Amino acid sequence: MAQAWTLGNRALREAWRTPEALVPTLFIPLFFLVVNVGQAAKIFPGSTTAFLHGQGYGAFQLPSSLLLAASFGTAALFLVEDIEGGYFDKLRATPIPRSAIVLGRLVAEFAKGLLISVLIVVLGLIFGISIASGPLGFVLLVLLTALWACVFVGFMQLIALKTRSAAATNSGGLVFFPLLFLTPNFVPRDLLTRPMEIAASVNPVTYVMEALRSLILEDLVWSKIAYGFGVVAVLFALMIALNVRVIQRYD
Amino acid sequence: MTNVAVRAEGLVKNYGDIEAVRRVDLTIEAGEVFGFLGPNGAGKSTTVRMLTTLLTITAGSAQVAGLDVATEPDAVRHRIGVALQEAGLDPRQTGRELLVLQGRLFGQTPQEAAARAEELLELVELQDAADRRIKGYSGGMKRRLDLASALVNRPEVLFLDEPTTGLDPASRLTIWDEVRRINERGTTVFLTTQYLEEADALCDRLAIIDGGLIVREGTPEHLKAELRARAGIPNPTLDDVFLDATGRTRSRVAGDVQEVA
Repeated sequence: MAQAWTLGNRALREAWRTPEALVPTLFIPLFFLVVNVGQAAKIFPGSTTAFLHGQGYGAFQLPSSLLLAASFGTAALFLVEDIEGGYFDKLRATPIPRSAIVLGRLVAEFAKGLLISVLIVVLGLIFGISIASGPLGFVLLVLLTALWACVFVGFMQLIALKTRSAAATNSGGLVFFPLLFLTPNFVPRDLLTRPMEIAASVNPVTYVMEALRSLILEDLVWSKIAYGFGVVAVLFALMIALNVRVIQRYD
Repeated sequence: MTNVAVRAEGLVKNYGDIEAVRRVDLTIEAGEVFGFLGPNGAGKSTTVRMLTTLLTITAGSAQVAGLDVATEPDAVRHRIGVALQEAGLDPRQTGRELLVLQGRLFGQTPQEAAARAEELLELVELQDAADRRIKGYSGGMKRRLDLASALVNRPEVLFLDEPTTGLDPASRLTIWDEVRRINERGTTVFLTTQYLEEADALCDRLAIIDGGLIVREGTPEHLKAELRARAGIPNPTLDDVFLDATGRTRSRVAGDVQEVA
């Protein structure tokens, strides 16, 4: 882990020195938040809509924006740059476990995920959204978002390592959009049509979103929180295992 | 350290049906500068990548610094330095940061890594640019930094894959001087190049690879003498040796450049 930490620091320095790659990560989720709230807030007024628990529609939409922000996978694009530029081979020629190369990027992605989710939640607080689950809920909210960022970047890194192509890795990231829309994105799951409800129920992103939403709108509803963290834990373990396997077989 | 720095026996690399390297045998003594020549696609880089643990070996065996490449790759990596064909650098880091990071990955403490980076920056004369981002470096500076990063761990064997390709003549001469200095300190150098004058100037011995096979091996003088004796060419150059070894002739090359490329 020491080498993963060292490489994580390098990846953070890389992100800090490439602000143009971070700006869309903040701007696009906030843009979607504003647009979605603008389109649907009148349909679901906070005072009469039970699933909003007394808050505005922005509070309901905030988890979608958090998940979107955590699903850019820029670390995987930096990994492709390393591969194409030859630095990846330079790292592979050092006597570190090869898994440290991918784990280092996940360490950095976790830190970036924490920072970005804190920024988005704080902006939400400024515009009147409150975190019903309190300070502990706030911590769980940003932690779950940051862990999801690691899961997603782990998936993107798999594409990067397999294809060694920036274009393919970028396209692979688009897979998140169908997953995001096959969730209870605009209304709770029980208000979806039956086919959409089934699709949402088999989509793991749904459980992460519902956990985030419960932290904002309800309280510490441990059953929903456990589902969210459980899904992320399983996917995180799967992504780490696959990343390690692929990089060890990289030729 | 063993007296043999690199030994390869029957080294093979296949990509599907394509045989990139076919039964290569090599023995390189410790302290030598060994040149590995060949046209594009001959198998030079593939051989280097197998010897540096970056590619799996299809068949045969290789030992570097007395260690088996296939079964002891981590131990091999501790004892080699590698500068590949593309200067593998992170453009967002400074030269100093890159060298310190490299040192940390070789297990040096932060203080040791910083001190070693300073030494190497001095060796490759990049002290003035040490704290600038690498993306602003010239091609020659990048090559020198890449060379420095390959020396962080004081390697017993240094692999340089076409270290001067694309450089202007002045930068090329600077790299040559540095290779000589490194070798004088006892490091074995395995150098691939397409420039025959580079091999002539730097190498104690060389091998020519073509189509994945070693077609000539010996000292530059020995190879020239052998061609003089065999073909009756009065004062053959290494170019003549190369053309003869790879089945090309000056007149054919003049008429069809594609043959060499």
